[in-house]
Amino acid sequence: MTWLKNALQQGVWPWLCAGSVALSLLMLGALLALLLTRGLGHFWPAALTEVTLNSGDVVAGEAVRDMPLPDQSGSERLYFTGNRDLDDARWRWVATDAIARQAQPENLLRLERRTWGDFIGYLEAVEVNGERFTGDDAWQQVQQALSLPTAQRARYQLTLRTPQGQTLRQSLATVISAEAPNAMHLGEKLGAWGSDVWQFLSQGPRAANTGGGVWPAIFGTMLMVIVMSVIVTPFGVLAAIYLNEIAHQGPLTRLVRVGVRNLAGVPSIVYGVFGLGVFVYGIGGSLDEWFFADALPSPTFGTGGLLWASLTLALLTLPVVIVATEEGLARIPDAQREGAVALGATRLEMLTRVVLPMATPAMLTGVILAVARAAGEVAPLMLVGVAKLAPQMPLDGEFPYLHLERKFMHLGYHLFDTAFHGEDVQAAIPLVYATALLLVLIVLVLNLTAILLRHHLRRQRGSEC
Amino acid sequence: MTRARLSSQPLRHLQDRIATALITAGGIGVLLAVLGIGVFLLWEAAPLLLDEELGSLSMLTPLAWGTLKAALMALLFALPLALGAAAYSAFFMSPRLRSRIKPTLEMMEAIPGVVVGFIAGMVLAPWVERHLASTLVVIVWLPLSAGLAGMLWHLASRHWQRRLPLSWAALWLIPWLVAMGMLALWSTPLVEQALWGGDLRRYLYDAFGLDYMTRNALIVGLAMGFAVIPSVYSLAEDALNEVPRPLMEGAQALGASRWQAVIKVALAAAGPGLFSAVMIGAGRAVGETMIVLMASSNTALLSASPFEGMRTMAAAIAIELPEATVGGVTYRMLVLAALVLFLFTFFVNTLAEVVRQRLRRRYQRMGGGA
Repeated sequence: MTWLKNALQQGVWPWLCAGSVALSLLMLGALLALLLTRGLGHFWPAALTEVTLNSGDVVAGEAVRDMPLPDQSGSERLYFTGNRDLDDARWRWVATDAIARQAQPENLLRLERRTWGDFIGYLEAVEVNGERFTGDDAWQQVQQALSLPTAQRARYQLTLRTPQGQTLRQSLATVISAEAPNAMHLGEKLGAWGSDVWQFLSQGPRAANTGGGVWPAIFGTMLMVIVMSVIVTPFGVLAAIYLNEIAHQGPLTRLVRVGVRNLAGVPSIVYGVFGLGVFVYGIGGSLDEWFFADALPSPTFGTGGLLWASLTLALLTLPVVIVATEEGLARIPDAQREGAVALGATRLEMLTRVVLPMATPAMLTGVILAVARAAGEVAPLMLVGVAKLAPQMPLDGEFPYLHLERKFMHLGYHLFDTAFHGEDVQAAIPLVYATALLLVLIVLVLNLTAILLRHHLRRQRGSEC
Repeated sequence: MTRARLSSQPLRHLQDRIATALITAGGIGVLLAVLGIGVFLLWEAAPLLLDEELGSLSMLTPLAWGTLKAALMALLFALPLALGAAAYSAFFMSPRLRSRIKPTLEMMEAIPGVVVGFIAGMVLAPWVERHLASTLVVIVWLPLSAGLAGMLWHLASRHWQRRLPLSWAALWLIPWLVAMGMLALWSTPLVEQALWGGDLRRYLYDAFGLDYMTRNALIVGLAMGFAVIPSVYSLAEDALNEVPRPLMEGAQALGASRWQAVIKVALAAAGPGLFSAVMIGAGRAVGETMIVLMASSNTALLSASPFEGMRTMAAAIAIELPEATVGGVTYRMLVLAALVLFLFTFFVNTLAEVVRQRLRRRYQRMGGGA
């Protein structure tokens, strides 16, 4: 009995506790690893396989994954075959037992097209200005022509052949990019990978979010966060200064402080409800009646938009800024304030010349934390102004340049919408992974900056006090 | 002389007065605006509460049930992990490792809910649906295997105990847990055959009448637990770490083992701190929206089965409020749901804060912090 008790106390229980740390780290690591491999791996030019089945059918495409059959008798493999305009499907399941032959021909191409998604097959010929090229010459012509502007590309007519033997004529103007991944060596693949990542970051979504990039969502997120910081910083700092420097430090102040602190724990969706009820329906509705009456009943400010989303998130992140700034203010020794006042400074001068400069890093930390929180927050935005696909950017060359009433796209909501309401979720999933990775990276980098800043600040203060 | 000079600068003092007034006005304004949230919700939901037709309140029942169920599942998964991790890193972990691990785990909190929800709903849920038995075996086996590792370590020779010290155990256990997870996956068909006749889902249906939905409370519990762990861990670790060292040392000097000192002394001393950590975790689990939205089926069910979905209040607000007509019954009911969430989290957080402040004073009386 004593032996068991000893074993439990010295071995089992502490190691169980250690196990929970290990498990948490493992889960975090697994999540990040999953996002990294799936998010970045999607852009890698995958090998294309041509499979001949026992039945004589030919399937060509990218092998996506293997799954065991339900009755455990073997497995089947999912291929991305493209060519949706020809056989009405982009995916094909193939039982691995039914495969007779596999090959990776070097001239198997993958074309990214503006309509119907990808084409996978062979290039038969290219016709330009009456000349006809075949074989390797054709492929060289296509590669050269793809660097031309779209208007000039219309002269090129491609004759394509699917692995099943159908032929298809297509103008080069509808082709965005072409690659022969089986013929690429490592350097070329790296290059293609880089340009695909860049395309993801710099372009708008295409083909029902299954292609293209997320630039409008990145831009919308950034703009919303910037407008939010412009609102939240002065007010948060003002409230913190009031609480810490001006208000009489009594039970009431303490109560308010606890209240503010607790607001950081209130669910974000509640802020969304407040934003919808007060900003959108209340203030926005009144603004519409006063200034945009001729546009009614279609609302201008009386519907979700950039301004209301930023305001809502500003309210949501206000406690973060207040708490961080107050922490910084409280760390400044009273001797500094007394010294300034003793030398004849008024309170304003004391605040602006002595206290605030010393508290700047703390304020900055607060704002960065607020931005990190706002960038990852989606739930309240669903109520106050995010859009699946915003037709117009909220910032453009038209007066007054910044259109606060417009809806905008947001990375987090884009992720949610693509993954759960998309047409072909299967095809969109790789891009969702990439979006999730991007979002996590942004938030983590912001948080790391705040942590490092705070660490730096503490060390600095430590040597001063 | 001084007085004369000061009065010769009325501008400076005027500026000062104005600035003070502005800051005061701004500060109070901001605080009022922030506290106005509760007032607004109460104002909008009041007609429903005062109204005769309280029958519409029954629409809230399945939502409240769903919220509780989701939060409980999340806490069931998160609390043992978070509190165990807190106890280990406060009392056993080497300080060098702790200074790395603690920020890493706290960083987990920053991962956006929408990403966790996506992984849970699109990756975890389909996998668990296909491998339900494996999931259950892994969930049971991993803690047992960590305990087994501890038992082996206890039996091992001094030499090995020094080579693999407990203070770095969190790292040693990672490969061990991976290996044990693999073992569990490999052995699942045998276990499933022996215990449940080869098909767990059919067994569950035959024996208990349980249906299985792809996105269910189990998935929500795992995903939301993942999101709740860091906040509970962080607060609990702080509370445990601040337990005055003399208390622990005294207990050990009187013959208690380290683990006994942790359980009998530290947990008793830090009890209120742990309570407040759990409360904060509960508040987070109740209000989390995106994870529930993406990982649960969003059907308003009144079932206690962990394999069926639910619809929580937060998810209902996110789905239904944009379409609800202003002032209608649905609108007011959803605002009422928001009010309930607001009051609950506010109450829970205040309780936690008060308890924490008491605790801090108690520590100071006991011998002033670590």
